[in-house]
Amino acid sequence: MNDDDKFFAWLDGELAPPEAAEMEAKVAADPKLQRLAEQHRALGAQLRGTFDPIAAAPVPERLQAALRPPAQVIDFAAAKRARSMPALAQWTAMAATLAIGIFVGTRAPQGTDTPVEAQGGKLYAAAAVNQALDSQLASAPAGDVRIGLTYRDQAGEICRTFTARAASGLACRSGGRWQMKGLFAAPEGQGTSYRMAAGMDPNLAALVGSTMAGEPFDAAAETAAKAKDWK
Amino acid sequence: MNPLSPFEDQLASLLPRLRRFAHGLSRDPADADDLTQATIERALRSKAQWEPGTRLDSWCYRIMRNLWIDTARSRSRKAVHEAPEEEGLNVGEDPREAIEATVDLKRVMAAMTRLPDEQRDVVALILVEGFGYREVSEMLGLPIGTVSSRLVRGRTALLAMVGES
Repeated sequence: MNDDDKFFAWLDGELAPPEAAEMEAKVAADPKLQRLAEQHRALGAQLRGTFDPIAAAPVPERLQAALRPPAQVIDFAAAKRARSMPALAQWTAMAATLAIGIFVGTRAPQGTDTPVEAQGGKLYAAAAVNQALDSQLASAPAGDVRIGLTYRDQAGEICRTFTARAASGLACRSGGRWQMKGLFAAPEGQGTSYRMAAGMDPNLAALVGSTMAGEPFDAAAETAAKAKDWK
Repeated sequence: MNPLSPFEDQLASLLPRLRRFAHGLSRDPADADDLTQATIERALRSKAQWEPGTRLDSWCYRIMRNLWIDTARSRSRKAVHEAPEEEGLNVGEDPREAIEATVDLKRVMAAMTRLPDEQRDVVALILVEGFGYREVSEMLGLPIGTVSSRLVRGRTALLAMVGES
């Protein structure tokens, strides 16, 4: 520790008693150090005076609400334990996928901005959804696509949930692409609200619960997985 | 009603402090509340990773700081040249507006926003949030000497910007 660091450690009460006493004496004998200590104590008081009122202010309702909505707190361990109807969940997922696949196929001509494309009887992410799955972190500000959870499934592949305008879904890595495992249309009237991303679609939650091995990635694991191209 | 579980309950009691830290990190009050919300959501999702008996506050601060780094990175890629205007501090739902802000306080706030990120988080954690050097070193995964030297540089720069008072 150099003298500067030691002086400030003393000021912050971080020095052990013998060293603290030594520094105390040194400061007492040096008007310049005394002045510096005063200035920095005043700075600390100013900093606290600036930021403490924020902690004393009422917490905005939306932040308190983030703790409350039942749909938002998904207990994945419980979801896994409650795998009494995995077949039903899978079936629902497939049915929804099929429905959206047909929807996409009939509404938009091939080669345009459809978020899903079919190949060899499988559905893969395309366009904005594919791009988001490839490069977006869960902490990114909400754009057209919002990423939710990232985790490894029981086959060891990385899976990610996402919310696009009117649907949420799950895609997992397969042959270097994002294969759609499920797509669920948003309930009527919620199609344009991104806030719905906070409360995961129950079908999607069930699908996640039945495929996830271990825990969802935290920010560091997510970033690391991205750097390794989701392998 | 829907009573909160002990984990959510503890998280709720941390909200005011987490919010203060978010305002210390972020230049923009709306961003600070977004960051706080993202932190709560992440903490709830990662609940199983928190070891009961360890400090929930350090764990949440770490989540917030990591989320902030991610956001700050993606933002700086987008807007390298958009330097924040000090006047911008008064925009939006700013709890700080409710304060009878003295010139000194405004100056401190503006000076904070001009610190490099890696000095600002250490300054906020130690001088505002009241954590010890060791706690911050564990929280940020940095050697204690690095924490201490960033703190010295940060507070020295702050003092120079704020001027004598």
